Amino acid sequence: MNVEREQGARERAVTALLDVAVHLPEQRTSVDEVAAQYGLTPMQVKVFRRYHKLGEVRRDPGGDLIDLLRAAVAGLGGLRGREQDVRYVVHARTFPSVVPYPLHPVHELCREFGLERASAFAVGHHACASGLLALDVVGRLLAADPDPGALALVLAGEKTFTAEAEILPDTTFFSEGASACLVGADGSRDRMLAYAVDQRAEYDDDAEQVALAFQRDYAQLLADTIHAALQRAALPLDAVSALLPHNVNAPIWRQVCRILGFPLERVVLENLAAYGHVFCADAFINYRTAVRRELLRPGEHYVMAAGAGRGAAFAAMVFEH
Amino acid sequence: MTELDTAADPGLRDRVVEEICALLPRVLKREVAGATAETTLMEALGLSSTAALELVLELEERLEREISVEELGRDDFATIGTLAGYIAANLLPEED
Repeated sequence: MNVEREQGARERAVTALLDVAVHLPEQRTSVDEVAAQYGLTPMQVKVFRRYHKLGEVRRDPGGDLIDLLRAAVAGLGGLRGREQDVRYVVHARTFPSVVPYPLHPVHELCREFGLERASAFAVGHHACASGLLALDVVGRLLAADPDPGALALVLAGEKTFTAEAEILPDTTFFSEGASACLVGADGSRDRMLAYAVDQRAEYDDDAEQVALAFQRDYAQLLADTIHAALQRAALPLDAVSALLPHNVNAPIWRQVCRILGFPLERVVLENLAAYGHVFCADAFINYRTAVRRELLRPGEHYVMAAGAGRGAAFAAMVFEH
Repeated sequence: MTELDTAADPGLRDRVVEEICALLPRVLKREVAGATAETTLMEALGLSSTAALELVLELEERLEREISVEELGRDDFATIGTLAGYIAANLLPEED
């Protein structure tokens, strides 16, 4: 597995999530409404509602990508007064292109928030697992930075600007929204203990047999990646207080839990029905929910995990709260 | 648990197998010949997991009974027979 060669020992790394903010636009749209635009049958919609536990998605019809990202960054109280310490601003993307050329919303955002000292760029090609990839990337960059007080800002969230960005057939519905996460090279809370990623390009194919094989193997591959991350963190599964999933659908997480032997009630799935899949922002949205519901106490461990269809990348990250 | 314990009722399972075979052309949108309890859903019929879930919903309407899906797992979708076995064991009680 790729995970074996992907991350070396992370004993020295103490990458920390210093603050997390999220934004979801007000407008609620039912999945029935989105499904109708794409000719789904009532039975297909019923499958999404009843089994996949999806119900509504959010839309910001009058807004652009920068409006989503701006609202998330504006909620990041930990950033105030530390703008000059931010060295990297990274947008984690599900899709490689999210705005038409020559727009650069992340650069614009840096100007708006006084983050001129930061290098701004995008991280992608792990589809919805790119959010965890971005955390790993900035963690490495900050660890190599001579300034121990250097910070990074990881942004996620996209517009549902094409059919592919609205609905993933047989799988999920996407929601507009955004997250902003302030990351430090060190810190006492939400310390990143391990990261595992498994890229399986052999499944990145539209051929029917490949698609069926991907469906068959998906939960196992995701469970294996979670196992690999826990192994790297030297933690047993029962040390995990909460699993913060990507909001793809409920059956996948039911299967993953069955394979792992992990209690489904410890997977934060309550946002599925309200938002659906918010691109790379799911884990951060579910983090906020876990904190709000006091599911995590200091010193407890949790896992952020995501599996991506396009590009077939699976990722899991272990944290100590 | 509110499910009826019907796992030991082979007659019900066989009836569900028949119902599934009858519904396959509708769900797959093509003719299906010679399907039996041993026919694999994914490999032999090319049934995606979502199409299999649609099949379960169609069965609910046909049997006029609700089917508990909380425990439905990948192994249950192996063959027509395994799916029928799951459904026969997970029909929720009829509402009075």
